[in-house]
Amino acid sequence: MKNSIRAIGPGLFLLAAAPALATQGHGDPEGLYVHQMSHIFFVFSMGILIYWLRARKLVRESGWRYIQYAGFFFILWTLDAFVAHLLDEQLRLVQVTRIDRWHIRLDAHSEWLELVYYIVKLDHLLCVPAMIFFYMGVRRLLMTVRHDGSVPGISEAQ
Amino acid sequence: MTISALPIWLVDMAGSVLMIVFSFSCLRHIRELNRRDPGNLIWTYLLWVCYLLAGFAISRSAGHILKQILLVSGHNGAWEAIRPYSGSINTFMLIIVASITLFFGRAWKIYREIVRDKIALQTTHREMLNLNETLERRVRERTEALARSEKQIAQADKLASIGQLSSGIAHEINNPLGVILGYTQLLLRDETPGSQKHDDLKTIEKHVKSCKTIVEDLLHFARSSKPRKEDIDIHKVIDDVLNFIRHRAKSDRLHIEKDYGSNIPPMFMDEKKINQVLINLMMNARHATGNEGTIRITTRSDPSVSRVFISIRDTGYGIEEKNLSRIFDPFFTTKPTGEGTGLGLAVSYGIIKNHGGDIRAESTPGNGAVFTIILPVSARNERNV
Repeated sequence: MKNSIRAIGPGLFLLAAAPALATQGHGDPEGLYVHQMSHIFFVFSMGILIYWLRARKLVRESGWRYIQYAGFFFILWTLDAFVAHLLDEQLRLVQVTRIDRWHIRLDAHSEWLELVYYIVKLDHLLCVPAMIFFYMGVRRLLMTVRHDGSVPGISEAQ
Repeated sequence: MTISALPIWLVDMAGSVLMIVFSFSCLRHIRELNRRDPGNLIWTYLLWVCYLLAGFAISRSAGHILKQILLVSGHNGAWEAIRPYSGSINTFMLIIVASITLFFGRAWKIYREIVRDKIALQTTHREMLNLNETLERRVRERTEALARSEKQIAQADKLASIGQLSSGIAHEINNPLGVILGYTQLLLRDETPGSQKHDDLKTIEKHVKSCKTIVEDLLHFARSSKPRKEDIDIHKVIDDVLNFIRHRAKSDRLHIEKDYGSNIPPMFMDEKKINQVLINLMMNARHATGNEGTIRITTRSDPSVSRVFISIRDTGYGIEEKNLSRIFDPFFTTKPTGEGTGLGLAVSYGIIKNHGGDIRAESTPGNGAVFTIILPVSARNERNV
């Protein structure tokens, strides 16, 4: 009798359990969250790059200094993009409706938010300068190497 | 708010194109850096950063351009179908670029250690080369010193053999010469000066005396008696010799210059023998200048090697190179027959060697000669032995 009761206990527990799914579903918002997280990660890594360049005093060399500026503009750009995604996709504070080929309508609680949204949509004004600074930095490194033959800044870092 | 989409469209299109252009320009420069220094970790690292940036620029810009074209051309449905793929690739590239950027600090640290090791290796290599060079130089110096020693030993052996031979001959000849000289001088007493017999006897006397001088020189050369050392002022000894030379020169056209070192210590040696050496060398110098020239005597001390250097330089013709190696040989002389025995320098050489020193001759024919006596400055405890 005692044994029967002992067997029924775990059995009832198993029958009462909710259905367990082997894999987790990845619905609509996850892609956006991952993308936003990638922007945050990008800010973090560019911040670390700038920190290293400054800590090693490499920014005394113009090539590395330009790369530092590139990192700074990349941070601005990724924050800009983050805000844009936040406004229209995540928080849905701004709705965009295409009226015709060259016009759009912005709907938000306030006009200044619509204006902010319009400005942050021009994110290339930040990421293109970042890429130009990166290009200038690399070019300057090449010029220095052509002249001196060694990696700029290595002697200062000894 | 209704607003124009044109600025957004223009900035998006132009920006996307520029992103691609500049990312590939970066790639081109980094590839050149990598080509110049293929093993450099920093350039390899930056090359990967650029590859990923270019990938990111393409994925992002291609998406944006495509989006603008499709939306403006009214193909919203097509864009909705492409959008998830474009966005995913974009996110993926952004994460990869961010990830590799994080490794900059580590890459730089590794590169710095590589450079340090390289510098240490180069320094060690340079030191090894220097050590090798020093070793080679020392071996060369030792070999030369050994050759000199062998030469000196050979010279000493030669002098010893000649010394033994000379002393035997000199001893045997000296007594008969004394008898000949004695009888000649006895006979001279009875002869009238100016007579033929008197003149003949004078000639005999002169030549016997000359023979006796040679024999005495031979005996001096052969007798290697231990020097009787005492503290002497070398400058005083030189001055005595110079007075003697001036007296013998009887010429105003022989200039003697002195350049005495100020720090010459008292020297512990046999004054008479050193005197003899200096007379030999200065008489040779006087003979070389022909009483019309300059003899310059220089003294200097080198405490680091405990040596005093005495140089006697003359403005005569000098010594031919072929004779330079033979001038200390006994009986070698360049003087006319009857004027020199060829024993002066050999005797001087023996005296200086007995004092633990050395004597060197240098000459360029036409520019005179310089003889340098190198004498040791004995330590007090050695002097008291």
